[in-house]
Amino acid sequence: MGNPTKSFQFPWLNRKGRDARSARPASPLWDVFGLLPMLAFAFFFMLLPASSLVFGAFQGNDGQFTLQHFADLSQRFIIEGYRNSIQVSLVTALIGGVFGFILAYAITLGGLPPVVRAMVTTFAGVASNFAGVPLAFAFISTLGRTGLVTVVFKSAGYDLYKQGFNLYTFAGLSLTYLYFQFPLMILIMAPALDGLKREWQEASENLGANGFQYWRYVALPIILPSILGTMVLLFGNAFGAYATAFALTGGTLDLVTIMIGAQIRGNVLYDPGLGYAMAIGMVVIMAFSIIIYAWLQRRSERWLR
Amino acid sequence: MRTNKFVFQLFGLLVIATTVLTACGGTATEAPPVATEPLAATEPPAADPMAELIAAAQVEGMVTTIALPHDWCNYGEVIEGFKAKYGLEVNELDPSAGSGDEIEAVKANKDNPGPQAPDVIDVGFGFGPQIVEEGIVQPYKVSTWDTIPDNVKHLDGYWYGDYYGVLALQVNTNVVENVPQDWTDLLKPDYEGQVALAGDPRSSNQAIQSVFMTSLVNGGSLDDAAPGLDFWADVVAEGNFVPVIAETGTFARGETPIIVQWDYLALSDRDTLAGNPEVAVVVPPSVVWGGVYIQGISAYAPHPNAAKLWMEWLYSDEGQLLWLKGYCHPIRYNDLAARGVIPDDLAAALPPAELYAKAIFPTLDQLSAARELITTQWDTVVGVDVQESE
Amino acid sequence: MNRFRYWSWFWLAIGAIYFFLPLVATAEFSMRAQKGTLSLLAYQRVLEDKEFVSSFLFSLRMALLTITFGILLIVPTAYWVHLRLPRMRPLVELLTLLPFVIPVIVLVFGMIRVYSSPPFLMTTTPATTDILLVAGYMVISLPYLYRSVDVGLRAMDVRSLTEAAQSLGAGWGTILFRIILPNLRTAALTGALLTLAIVIGELTLAQYLARPAFGPYMNLLGKNRAYEPAALSIMSFALTWAAMGVVYWLTRGEQAQIGGGH
Repeated sequence: MGNPTKSFQFPWLNRKGRDARSARPASPLWDVFGLLPMLAFAFFFMLLPASSLVFGAFQGNDGQFTLQHFADLSQRFIIEGYRNSIQVSLVTALIGGVFGFILAYAITLGGLPPVVRAMVTTFAGVASNFAGVPLAFAFISTLGRTGLVTVVFKSAGYDLYKQGFNLYTFAGLSLTYLYFQFPLMILIMAPALDGLKREWQEASENLGANGFQYWRYVALPIILPSILGTMVLLFGNAFGAYATAFALTGGTLDLVTIMIGAQIRGNVLYDPGLGYAMAIGMVVIMAFSIIIYAWLQRRSERWLR
Repeated sequence: MRTNKFVFQLFGLLVIATTVLTACGGTATEAPPVATEPLAATEPPAADPMAELIAAAQVEGMVTTIALPHDWCNYGEVIEGFKAKYGLEVNELDPSAGSGDEIEAVKANKDNPGPQAPDVIDVGFGFGPQIVEEGIVQPYKVSTWDTIPDNVKHLDGYWYGDYYGVLALQVNTNVVENVPQDWTDLLKPDYEGQVALAGDPRSSNQAIQSVFMTSLVNGGSLDDAAPGLDFWADVVAEGNFVPVIAETGTFARGETPIIVQWDYLALSDRDTLAGNPEVAVVVPPSVVWGGVYIQGISAYAPHPNAAKLWMEWLYSDEGQLLWLKGYCHPIRYNDLAARGVIPDDLAAALPPAELYAKAIFPTLDQLSAARELITTQWDTVVGVDVQESE
Repeated sequence: MNRFRYWSWFWLAIGAIYFFLPLVATAEFSMRAQKGTLSLLAYQRVLEDKEFVSSFLFSLRMALLTITFGILLIVPTAYWVHLRLPRMRPLVELLTLLPFVIPVIVLVFGMIRVYSSPPFLMTTTPATTDILLVAGYMVISLPYLYRSVDVGLRAMDVRSLTEAAQSLGAGWGTILFRIILPNLRTAALTGALLTLAIVIGELTLAQYLARPAFGPYMNLLGKNRAYEPAALSIMSFALTWAAMGVVYWLTRGEQAQIGGGH
């Protein structure tokens, strides 16, 4: 290649030879050692403590090995629970993803003054963790039967609840969840949008593409893996949410996390083995979502090196 | 300087590492590991063993409690009173813990001499058999043991009832004009979207008892809790049910203006809110439903003597009366009343004694059968309807 | 560009309405502590409690430790995965998403079981229990921190930067701390902000490890009260927002974009 800035070339490089050897994905065998700190941390502080989860799932109440808990997973109300949890998580991940992205775009490339970005970013940081009882209460105070908005509308003659709206439903819960989903999307996507070099937009304009085409063929493919990855995060975030749902829906909407809570911490039910089995079910679902995400990602990575 | 940042980080890590090592190597500054005493049921006959107990407890220095909100049966004053009288510290763990949490906490801290291990637990009556079976508690008979009624204690001293109350209606009168006077009133159209439970009927002791109780209202019996579920299905069908778990906040807000709760919690809420909003507490006379809670000392308690002293405090006249001040009926109520030690003003603040005279207390077997039914059937009988009305 | 900016303001306005309404409703309720009038009585009651400041500072300290160690753990790992182990990415991502499915209560009880007896006795002194606490916080914030750093790494050309640095003779340490990390400034900041919020509001870990953090304090205070919890959530929201503002301001410096637009 004769690149004058490089000191010497490895002779056995093939067409992709521009890469420095040590920067290329090499044999994973030795490289796995680089993951050692992470794996050690995960082992000592995640897997080891949670091992009771795995063992307990296979243990009966008297301690013997049993698969009964997993068999019990097929009960109707448990399947319902999984279905509801997945539904809420998917819906809020999608809506949160789309609108979160729009807002992230607005504050980064949308031409707004930088102070807006600072305020939105810091606010989003707090809001992303505003969950549990305070959040549920905030929404009850806003859209509950005696909520601020409901009362205002009622005085204007429009009774939300008579029209069929109800905060204590699937829709209401999703609306509440979005309060921490949007900010998460905004926070994580903003730096990604920063990475869209302006030259690319200029270059594509020079080549005759309009805004839409720039997005469709240049920007979106580049940023899609990040969008998808963050949406998976949003999915997991909603999937694992417990306190908010519990505070808002009490005993009506079945979600896996609430059911697990009932089994493990319950005042009355107390079949921890079943709870652990349900948690393992959640792990399986999360793994599944990652597989889907990895597949989607691989397809979109065709445009990258 | 290029290397500065790296050196700085390394230095920082060294500092942290040395702190960690010295902390690990040093002796524990919290409670010294105490050899577990033989699990024999002790029956301290008179004051002298009491003095020994106090001395031993003071050596231990503290007792760790769990799941004791300060407004629940006036535990706030009970704790302060204990601290003042014996000079011990009270290390309070999670006040929002449920009975299941307490048991899990004991199990998880089996080998732990640190402050995370609860010394004493206060759980629902229905948990009695389980905590004995699983070896969660150690036996101890307080000096006033004989005045505790037999049907609410484990005869070998593993657990013992501490207080009881009856289910009542807590009503926000700023929002609700026609205060419901009886359980069947909850079905009236006046109360659209206003009736709530204080817990999740699939896991909360209080909520389950609320459902169990309504079976008697709806033509069922102590052995048949199914009509209770039907009652609540009707409440939902009428549109009167609010599926939010009622808290003081939602109550004050008016979102859950009618709550089915233990009378002591309702009365204590009324005091806390101090008229903002106005609260009415009604004990419907048609079915007066009693609920008992029980105490136990953890079998793995790091401070067993302090724990025993705590029990002595709770079951002394003074301790029992403090609970009474929190509107809970202490378990030795009858004994206290017979000896005339209850101050008149405290007695007057409670719901009428005639109501309590006809209070119904289900047995352990009836409780577990009902609990089984309600927790598994709630979703199908009551829950599904709510979802369909979306 | 003007029509463009109009849309940005529009979406911002919609977002603002959605986010502020619930806060306004909570604030309005919190001011009703005094019967009949709007007052700051609830806030007064909360501020009179000396535990308020001490527990907030404790949580703040824990948050800073979590952020530091979190970044020290995650950035090299994410970098390594990007550079050398792209095929292991799904596995690593699953690992980082596991905290979502492990209920915190199981985690804390598990940690107590494992670390409350020899050879790992760590629950008897405040310092060592704090280590457990920080480790627990790191686990909980792992998904967010990893995702932020991951997105940040995607936005820069990791391979070219590494190659360039190596061809100039840089070792791994230099590459990580003088090239990669500065470029990850915004992403790391994002992760740090998320972690800060998580740690300050966290309840279960601190509760069961018996440490005096802000979460348990709020919980104890809020039990059985109506107006104080609302006041508390507004205050902790405001305080955390302020803390974030400080962190943001401290790190704004040069929004270095060596790998981005020139």
